[in-house]
Amino acid sequence: MYSLSSKSAKEISDLLDEYGIKHGPVVDTTRNLYEKKLKEAMMKGKRSKPSPQKTYYREEEDEVTYVYRTPIRSDCTVDSGSYMRSRPEWTEREFEHDTSYSTYLRSRPEYRGRDFVEGPYVYDTPSTYRNSYSKSTPVKYDQEAPKASPRFIPLWIQFVFFLVVAVFLYLVFSNMETNESPKAIE
Amino acid sequence: MSTTSQKHRDFVGEPMGDKPVTSLSGIGETLGKKLEEQGFDKAFVVLGQFLLLKKDTEMFTEWLKDASGANSRQAGSCAQCLKEWCDAFL
Repeated sequence: MYSLSSKSAKEISDLLDEYGIKHGPVVDTTRNLYEKKLKEAMMKGKRSKPSPQKTYYREEEDEVTYVYRTPIRSDCTVDSGSYMRSRPEWTEREFEHDTSYSTYLRSRPEYRGRDFVEGPYVYDTPSTYRNSYSKSTPVKYDQEAPKASPRFIPLWIQFVFFLVVAVFLYLVFSNMETNESPKAIE
Repeated sequence: MSTTSQKHRDFVGEPMGDKPVTSLSGIGETLGKKLEEQGFDKAFVVLGQFLLLKKDTEMFTEWLKDASGANSRQAGSCAQCLKEWCDAFL
């Protein structure tokens, strides 16, 4: 542990930026406060180095397809799906075919020792991938850029409600027209 | 409007000039003395500190509590007072 009081004002300022703490100039009267804030932030264990790109470095490795060795576990595939999803140049189709192909190759030696037929099992993997892959995309969107605004009422319910209201209004208007004929009982 | 004190309204309503630190909302005799001991003898010096903290009321509140022993209510009141003064005159 280093002592904050021995740091220069510039270093304190940089540390504050790293922890994402908005601050003004580090001068005599503000220094104590900022040091205190830094200590609190360090104790809370916030990420000290703002480099989220580091978590994506695995996409550079060739072993990224390696993660697909355990196809059944949906949580594994979701994680690896999210890594793969971050590659911009891969289209979805290419991606699915490629990973399923790689699992064909890899799963064979793995499952040789098991007592089930390889054929149907291998057929299972692409479908599980598709299921988990489609699941992974919303997860990835959440992690990357939370664009979806939280909805209190699900969207489909809003559409259904709108349709119901539209139908109701249509009925009302159509009945209004037929009521023009004098049916009123006096 | 009824939630602000008369002291608050008096301060925010005009330029602070050379007003003493005790004219700030939330700062009474005791807290005023503590601040004066540290060199904050006029309201504008406290304003200076507020501005150094980039007009962040939370930061300022924390600073004031540490510097003068103010409680949350008093510090918050002072911060709000200064913020409104800045909005009006700065």
